[in-house]
Amino acid sequence: MGKSATTKDAQALFHSLRSAYAATPTNLKIIDLYVMFAVVTALIQVVYMAIVGSFPFNSFLSGVLSCVGTAVLAVCLRIQVNKENKEFKDLPPERAFADFVLCNLVLHLVIMNFLG
Amino acid sequence: MANRPLTFLTFLSLLPLICLSFSLENPTDRRILVLLDDLAIKSSHSIFFKSLQTRGFELDFKLADDPKITLQRYGQYLYDGLVLFSPTIERFEGSLNLAAVLDFVDSGRDLILSADVNSSDLIRNIAADCGVDFDEDPSAMVIDHISYALSDTEGDHTLVASDGFIQSDVMLGSSKIEAPVLFKGIGHSLNPANSLVMKVLGASPSAYSANPNSKLSNPPTLIGSAISLVSVVQARNNARIMIAGSLDMFGNRLLKSGVQKAGSSNKYGKSGNEQFVTELSKWVFHERGHLKAVNVKHHKTGETNEPAMYRINDDLEYSVEVYEWSGKSWEPYVANDVQVQFYMMSPYVLKTLSTDQKGLYYTSFKVPDVYGVFQFKIEYQRLGYTSLSLAKQIPVRPFRHNEYERFITTAYPYYGASFSTMAGFFIFSIIYLYNK
Repeated sequence: MGKSATTKDAQALFHSLRSAYAATPTNLKIIDLYVMFAVVTALIQVVYMAIVGSFPFNSFLSGVLSCVGTAVLAVCLRIQVNKENKEFKDLPPERAFADFVLCNLVLHLVIMNFLG
Repeated sequence: MANRPLTFLTFLSLLPLICLSFSLENPTDRRILVLLDDLAIKSSHSIFFKSLQTRGFELDFKLADDPKITLQRYGQYLYDGLVLFSPTIERFEGSLNLAAVLDFVDSGRDLILSADVNSSDLIRNIAADCGVDFDEDPSAMVIDHISYALSDTEGDHTLVASDGFIQSDVMLGSSKIEAPVLFKGIGHSLNPANSLVMKVLGASPSAYSANPNSKLSNPPTLIGSAISLVSVVQARNNARIMIAGSLDMFGNRLLKSGVQKAGSSNKYGKSGNEQFVTELSKWVFHERGHLKAVNVKHHKTGETNEPAMYRINDDLEYSVEVYEWSGKSWEPYVANDVQVQFYMMSPYVLKTLSTDQKGLYYTSFKVPDVYGVFQFKIEYQRLGYTSLSLAKQIPVRPFRHNEYERFITTAYPYYGASFSTMAGFFIFSIIYLYNK
């Protein structure tokens, strides 16, 4: 009795999440896709390091941090651009995007140096 | 006036004769001082002395209590070897004493010492300082009731026939000594912890050391094969000392006599004494078994000059030439067990050197993955040969920062991930900007 109720509740939850998500604007969905891509790349690298060992540790850190850093910056962009956020109501989205681009430039400069 | 150039020329021609002692290029001794108890020994041991003189040694015979004996003059030693055939001398007159004899040996010069029954404390102390302990009872002799020599004159079994030779072609010559050696005198023992003394002629297991004229009150302390009749010491500076317990063993009578061991039917016409003392004296006076190692060379594989420093994981080649003195000239030394160590506190690399049979020993190896100051070390000690101890210091440095591999193969996924993130960022920004 409990089991079928739990699965039914899970399914109902999943459906409501999906329908809510479908209502988000397209640009936010693009940002979400980019974040997913960066996190998956980071996970692949961590699994590779677990198999092979951490020999050029600086390269490993560089690769993982480039993914994690760019994911964090994308999340910040998403927060600033989201129209439902009251905090950033007055922030022009172009300014947010310019910040995103500049920070990514600095991030990738550092990554290239640390990659060895 | 006309005599001046003549005297000058004769002086010049005599100059080469001034280098009369042994040198690095010619290690055989030249001048030997022989100290005797009385001059009768000179004639009773004439065969032995004659064999030394025919081999080119200059023998200087003196009585042991001659007050004018000096080993040194103005800081230079006058002799290269010392033969002490004076077992009963209580003290040397003149400048010779126990310390002077020990300094003589410490300077790298050789010594033949013969004790006998009733030898003095001085001779026993010299032997004790060389590592050989004679029996405490001075009138004890080596007695063997099983391995004695059959003799018409002596019946107390103190004339012992022994063939317990050390196994060494370098010391005793390449031809085997067939007949046993006749020995009549006092035995000694060696400390087993001393690695520099070697027993060259040992007594048989049935021998013991006791006074033949008195009854034995308790069992003798020195028995069996622990008794050494003739021993040699090769010091760390390659000085060689031979210590024997019987002066008669060198004498004409035993050298010429035949020998038959009791209980055996082998009758030898001539004892092994002459061959034994001649061959062993050749070894003691550095006519045989003297090695030198020259021309240590090392270089990187493919180059010929010797670098001042190696880098880790370099390939290098090492070579050395080892020669053996044959009595007249340096012959190539041939062996297959010379090893070189690449040493820093402990040997990181230990390799056996290959030889081209002409004295050149060479090998090649890879410098280990450790940096520091290393040494090429050769420590070669073999029975009967002089010890070789070479060390050459060489530093080893780690990689310079531009000597590492540029791209590491295992890191390619990380390189790929960083570039793919950059590409992704670029594509994302295009899509985001131009999305309606």
